[in-house]
Amino acid sequence: MRRSHLLATVACATLACAPLAANAQFAPAGSGGSPTSSVPGPGNGSGNSFEPTENTPAAKSRFSGPSPYAPQAPGVNAANLPDIGSMDPNDVPQMAPQQSASPASGDWAAYGHDDSQMRYSPLSEITPQNADQLKVAFVYHTGSYPRPGQTNKWAAETTPIKVGDGLYMCSAQNDIMKLDPATGKEIWRHNINEKYEAIPYTAACKGVTYFTSSQVPEGQPCHNRILEGTLDMRLIAVDAATGNLCEGFGNGGQVNLMQGLGESVPGFVSMTTPPPVVNGVVVVNHEVLDGQRRWAPSGVIRGYDAESGKFLWAWDVNRPNDHSQPTGNNHYSRGTPNSWAAMTGDNALGLVYVPTGNSASDYYSALRSPEENKVSSAVVALDVKTGSPRWVFQTVHKDVWDYDIGSQATLMDMPGQDGQPVPALIMPTKRGQTFVLDRRDGKPILPVEERPAPSPGVIPGDPRSPTQPWSTGMPALRVPDLKETDMWGMSPIDQLFCRIKFRRANYTGEFTPPSVDKPWIEYPGYNGGSDWGSVSYDPQSGILIANWNITPMYDQLVTRKKADELGLMPIDDPNYKPGGGGAEGNGAMDGTPYGIVVTPFWDQYTGMMCNRPPYGMITAIDMEHGQKVLWQHPLGTARANGPWGLPTGLPWEIGTPNNGGSVVTAGGVVFIAAATDNQIRAIDEHTGKVVWSAVLPGGGQANPMTYEANGHQYVAIMAGGHHFMMTPVSDQLVVYALPDHKG
Amino acid sequence: MPNTYGSRTLTEWLTLVLGVVIILVGLFFVIAGADLAMLGGSVYYVICGIPLVAGGVFMLMGRTLGAFLYLGALAYTWVWSLWEVGFSPVDLLPRDFGPTLLGILVALTIPVLRRMETRRTLRGTV
Repeated sequence: MRRSHLLATVACATLACAPLAANAQFAPAGSGGSPTSSVPGPGNGSGNSFEPTENTPAAKSRFSGPSPYAPQAPGVNAANLPDIGSMDPNDVPQMAPQQSASPASGDWAAYGHDDSQMRYSPLSEITPQNADQLKVAFVYHTGSYPRPGQTNKWAAETTPIKVGDGLYMCSAQNDIMKLDPATGKEIWRHNINEKYEAIPYTAACKGVTYFTSSQVPEGQPCHNRILEGTLDMRLIAVDAATGNLCEGFGNGGQVNLMQGLGESVPGFVSMTTPPPVVNGVVVVNHEVLDGQRRWAPSGVIRGYDAESGKFLWAWDVNRPNDHSQPTGNNHYSRGTPNSWAAMTGDNALGLVYVPTGNSASDYYSALRSPEENKVSSAVVALDVKTGSPRWVFQTVHKDVWDYDIGSQATLMDMPGQDGQPVPALIMPTKRGQTFVLDRRDGKPILPVEERPAPSPGVIPGDPRSPTQPWSTGMPALRVPDLKETDMWGMSPIDQLFCRIKFRRANYTGEFTPPSVDKPWIEYPGYNGGSDWGSVSYDPQSGILIANWNITPMYDQLVTRKKADELGLMPIDDPNYKPGGGGAEGNGAMDGTPYGIVVTPFWDQYTGMMCNRPPYGMITAIDMEHGQKVLWQHPLGTARANGPWGLPTGLPWEIGTPNNGGSVVTAGGVVFIAAATDNQIRAIDEHTGKVVWSAVLPGGGQANPMTYEANGHQYVAIMAGGHHFMMTPVSDQLVVYALPDHKG
Repeated sequence: MPNTYGSRTLTEWLTLVLGVVIILVGLFFVIAGADLAMLGGSVYYVICGIPLVAGGVFMLMGRTLGAFLYLGALAYTWVWSLWEVGFSPVDLLPRDFGPTLLGILVALTIPVLRRMETRRTLRGTV
């Protein structure tokens, strides 16, 4: 220990201090004096004065983005929309009863089925006994896939919704369509002509939102609307019956969400999740491309009137008391934590639960404000009347591991001490820690312990938190910390290679501090634990279904000089060439002393993970009787995976990495694809037995859904594939039903 | 019929190739295994590498001892891997599957090596 600590200190002194000094212009205003060799630590800053002002000299590194005060690049306002006006949140009209509040039994009215986002359907035609007879009923092609000359950045991740006579969905590039739920016939399609350049890390559209207006009478256009947030940052409202833009919403049916975000380029900021509507307020979040620069566009959360599209409020972390839109050359404070997961609305409490990510430059935290440190990698309950947080529950303190929350919160009732149900919220995390909170005040219902974590770490001026929260009342969706003997391979040769790789890295468990002198192992990595697939919950049986990953990462901070040599530059650098791909988060972190290199913890010569299988699991937890694991097994076979990317064809349930969630039904069947074996499965909810599986035309990295049409149950999965999961991309929505109900 | 003067049969050539493969694996074990041991990791590889290199060299020399050195290293590998991970098939796979396959091939060379040894002895006495 002593020796390695000494080495780390020496390495930091020689490698790190020069760039630290070069970035001293970001010292808090008024701190005065000559540049110092350390950056301000937590609590040393004075809030938003960290952000460069208009007069701050340009950064001196070889690659860097323009001043945050530079104008937005052409195409950032994709539809050249005029600015949207504001209105008083108190003037938002009373919301009409929504389909998502109490869907018809055969409908799937919201991304996670209904307002609770339980991913539970009361349908029961398909059972563990008959599921093995499921056949393809129809296939629908969205038409969105990489064309020749385009880098594969596709992963549609789409879950359709079903309301009444329509199956509503979006393509990976945000075209909106309504299908006949029984036949898959296209009833209408609204093309939004999104440009390839607008695709950020991934072309994804997780879904659309169904909204019923209280202002437009029934029977008139746009009484029922489909709302969508797009990759190119538009909020779009179309008529559910015709697909025509709702003229009364925003500017001719669209709102430019880049308004107020300041300098940006296409692909830097994007929306991939369906925006929830809470008491008439449509709330939007957006992802900000990881790893680019400290002063990336803001992660601001905004509320708009779902009827008119007018701006209501903003929650801008570093302007906590200012909920208005910036005017003139001003912008929302930059580099603040973004939220890219699906949010959950709560009409009864007037809250929206925002799963937050990290401040920009995920792996270096010394330039974050105290306000940011309070709300990053947290669940933030925003009051939809004001845009102010009512409570915050943080799942990682001072996150430098990209443990941002990708999952959507699920609402359910927990039995209270006096027998009264407590309104609860289940928040799965990439850490595999699942937090169960009282949604009235954010207090844990199941015990949460603050446990010691490695601190202060090795990066000067950027100490780690001495403790981190652990949800000790819930089974952890992770395996124990890695050991050398967990290294795997085809033979002792690659196993030896991985053992050396393991020993050459810093590793002191889940919160191993980032290092620049040598790599560090990050487990669970940014792929989870539980990622955007979230969990499903059966309120009848009290069973929670969670799928999760065991995919460690191998990361290293690099000095600015090394980052320049590697050609790491922010997306808004004039030299930036789009195309990239690869692991998420590799980046320049321009504006900080370091860049970041992120790789899977794998044998780069065989493409096999270094750790032993399984790499993906599925777990059923009994929430009503002491949160015990009912069953747990690896998810995904080796059929489409193997060394050098070759499919082995083996039916061995090795447990593959998985992305995408599950559905649980009253029939006692869990439907899930997610695994990289490109199969969809039906699993007996009570035993965990796989009762049916079918091979998809592409990777099933999406949340499935189920609905009823013409009196019969259907199961839909977008087989869109995933570029980083290396599964085949397709544009096919595949819908299954029992025989004799083919479309 | 065993040939008498120098030219080798196919099985003898294959035995020599196997010897070269075992030397290469053994060298990797010794060099990378020493690295691992110095990093604080398992010493199995560097220890196992020595009989592997020696076994490969003896096989190239046409000595039956080479095959037995390999089989001895294989026995050590099984004992070590069972000690390290127990009877877990997933974990035994990388540790023992390849070496055992190679061990079967090595066992098949024993008659060939014996023949080469006998021939050398005969040549020596003529």
